[in-house]
Amino acid sequence: MKVIELKKVEKIYNDSEVKVHAVRGIDLEFEEGEFAAIVGPSGSGKTTLLNMLGGLDKPTVGDIYIGGTHINDLSGSKLIDFRLFNIGFVFQSYNLIPVLTAKENVEFIMQMQGISQEERYQRTKALLEEVGLGDRLDSRPKQLSGGQQQRVAVARALASKPKFVLADEPTANLDSKSTENLLEIMEKLNKEENITFIFSTHDQRVVKKARRVITVEDGKVLSDERK
Amino acid sequence: MKLYKIAWRNLWRNRKRTAITSASILFAVFFAVVMRSLELGFYDHMIKNAIESYSGFLQIQHVDYQTDPSLENTIELDEGFIAQLENAEGVKAVVPRVQTFALASSGEQTKGALIVGIDPVKEKKLSNPEIRLVRHQFTKENIERLNENSGIPESVKEKLNGLLYKSYTNTGTIAMDLDLDEEAESFLLSILGQETAFPGEYLQANDDGVLVSERLSKYLKLKVGDTLILYGQGYQGATAADLFPVRGIVSIPNPELDNKLVYASLEKAQYFSNLGNRISNLAINLDDNSDKNLKYMEKKLSDMLNSETVTVENWKVFNKVLWQQIESDNNSGIIFLGLLYFIIFFGIFGTVLMMIHERYREFGVMVSIGMQKTRLSVIMIYEMILMGILGVLSGIILSLPLILTMHYNPVHLTGDMAQMMEDMGFEAVMPLASPGMYMVWQAVIVAIMVALSSIYPIRKIFALKEIDALRA
Repeated sequence: MKVIELKKVEKIYNDSEVKVHAVRGIDLEFEEGEFAAIVGPSGSGKTTLLNMLGGLDKPTVGDIYIGGTHINDLSGSKLIDFRLFNIGFVFQSYNLIPVLTAKENVEFIMQMQGISQEERYQRTKALLEEVGLGDRLDSRPKQLSGGQQQRVAVARALASKPKFVLADEPTANLDSKSTENLLEIMEKLNKEENITFIFSTHDQRVVKKARRVITVEDGKVLSDERK
Repeated sequence: MKLYKIAWRNLWRNRKRTAITSASILFAVFFAVVMRSLELGFYDHMIKNAIESYSGFLQIQHVDYQTDPSLENTIELDEGFIAQLENAEGVKAVVPRVQTFALASSGEQTKGALIVGIDPVKEKKLSNPEIRLVRHQFTKENIERLNENSGIPESVKEKLNGLLYKSYTNTGTIAMDLDLDEEAESFLLSILGQETAFPGEYLQANDDGVLVSERLSKYLKLKVGDTLILYGQGYQGATAADLFPVRGIVSIPNPELDNKLVYASLEKAQYFSNLGNRISNLAINLDDNSDKNLKYMEKKLSDMLNSETVTVENWKVFNKVLWQQIESDNNSGIIFLGLLYFIIFFGIFGTVLMMIHERYREFGVMVSIGMQKTRLSVIMIYEMILMGILGVLSGIILSLPLILTMHYNPVHLTGDMAQMMEDMGFEAVMPLASPGMYMVWQAVIVAIMVALSSIYPIRKIFALKEIDALRA
């Protein structure tokens, strides 16, 4: 089943005197259950592409459909709500809410979705156990290591039962052991629960695990390989 | 997780900054509350001294009396009407008075005097001249006798010469001037009281004698039992002249009045001035002295009076000088507080700017993962409110012990400041107003500042672009 569809997507930044063509006419589709990595050198346009996939940025030209919804047409609070219910985010520097515990960080997303307290509790506990943090429910982010924080971020991204998870350089700040551990968790979730993961990465360990690798350069898709 | 809980935790992310901002609000509120309490306490004190204890909050008088307070503008009121007024709801005291001027003479001395005719019994409910009666005086003779008394400690004797020719209305003030503890030194005060006893008695109803103010009595060299001659002009040009035995000497705090005041009974003053049953005014005190009630009672009494020649005036009209003095001082105080809060506002605003700057990326993350901007704004508003509440409550709580202590134990001023206040006719004390609405107003002002400070972060949140915020 098609989760994401990009049609002739272009992104031109007009902010400075010089126009920057960050993405040039990309056509892409992502199916449910994919474990895909978008790779490319710095400035190739992969982060811009990821931002547009996440509804954080809008294409200058072209259309983006997520689960059949044309997200170019959404704006303001509707777009925020769309993200809340459809997209999970994992950021490079974790970006957990520092004043909330691991449990509260995960639960918070579901609270915004209006899920009942009992269901929130059960799901939070299950998710944190799944990422191996069942014993750190009440720890604040600063009490956790980088790897642990990123695992909480993954649990948070999954809390809303999204159609897919976007992970922007999720392993960039992690040591090799934590990276390995995180990738194992995501791969397991992908395989066992058919959750779609799309990474933007430089990390070869991530590329190795990915079953689809999209190489972007100068705003264009250079190659799209499925393993 | 409730939003206010997140806000509370956010506040303590940077403990020092929150503590400093709350402390600046705390000190502003503390200072504002104490200053306001001092101002309001002082206004109350002035009103109590000048209005509640002398002129009354309302006066019934001839319509022209305010511009020409002569005997020609006196009024004649029906006894039944006065009785009706006395029984009216909300009326505490109704006191008829006659005021006129005459030459006061004794021996070879003569001086212009203000003659105030009072009902000795009713007047006790208002100015109560009885408490102003001089009951003790230090003379050379009694100081010598006290110096010979072995029961009096040397430390007290050393101070006695400083009290020569000073008069007192009670032994409590003697104790204060000698730095004596009234309770502990009751024996000593009893001796001092007996030795310095000064003759004199309050006027009886229909008394034909007078009470003379202390400075005037000294000028006229009058003692209790002497005769005072008053000579002047009565109602409608009649000659007013009579002899009055001096029943007592009264000590009036206002030196100007103390130089010229003579109290006579109302009946005797009316007879002397050929006024018949006419009076200069009817002074009225009320149970509730609030502005609202004052206006209500003024209207109510005007309706009861229903006259074109007689009117009801409130103290702000017949004592314009005091009212304008209070108004002007009050406005200066408000401007000063405005400046203080203006400075504090920028302190709060600075904190808001720092909070926004520090957390802009975090805001971007929260909106990216699905938090509505309205919710985010609510968290910010909660943070501001909590910081405001923290500062306001601490400020008020900190100020309460000081305000309550100084309200019940006002500071007694000394030196030039005391002299200045006494010259103005006020007791030289600085009472603080009891806790009241002015405290609530400080909370309202801080709430307004918080609301104003919140405008910027809310605008910033609503203008937030996720991409820009995530790159911050």
